[in-house]
Amino acid sequence: MANKKILIVDDDPDVLQGMHVRLKANQYDICLAVDTFSGVAEARRSEPDLILLDLGLPAGGGFMVMERLRMIPSLAIIPIIVISARDGLGNQKRAFDAGAKAFLQKPVDDNQLLAVIRQTLGEPAKARIPTLHDQGTV
Amino acid sequence: MTKPAQPSSNLSAYLSHELRNALACIHQFGNILVDGLAGELTGEQREYVGIMLENASRIRSVLDSALDGVAGPPEKCATKIEPVTKLET
Repeated sequence: MANKKILIVDDDPDVLQGMHVRLKANQYDICLAVDTFSGVAEARRSEPDLILLDLGLPAGGGFMVMERLRMIPSLAIIPIIVISARDGLGNQKRAFDAGAKAFLQKPVDDNQLLAVIRQTLGEPAKARIPTLHDQGTV
Repeated sequence: MTKPAQPSSNLSAYLSHELRNALACIHQFGNILVDGLAGELTGEQREYVGIMLENASRIRSVLDSALDGVAGPPEKCATKIEPVTKLET
């Protein structure tokens, strides 16, 4: 069975790299984008199974990414999890109104993130995240 | 890094964004090290990274308390999840 593909959109290269390492170790294929424009373009190109989306992005922001994706029928169905360092008060409601499946506030616990990803993708839950000791090599 | 905003709620939003992003990176890479995803750690190295992560968590608690006082308690996680079936196009 092919790995599920996840697009991560975040303007912080360290956040991107950290999520990339963690999700790749959990057998997901990863695509990356760093701003509003490349987020939409990469979604078009790779048609991921799930998008992890930051809100504070250059050239528009995460809400604009959601707005653009909603206008493209084949991409409008891709589930989006918003992961933001912004406060959750107004942003959470706005994210849900824009179609997000979940809203997580940074810093996000790895187990929590993986659980939400699996739940969103309809995958069975795992007891704990894999480590080098489980896998031999990564 | 974005330019600092005006005082009060804008300042707290700015601080929240910048500090939470930095903490997210510390947690991410600390846990990557502890879980051995970048190679095996010695017992001593694992202990030191653990101390680093504990203190990052302390900073997070302080940050949550400080910013909750300004902006009200933010939701840490909220979901309305249903399994999704990707349509073939």
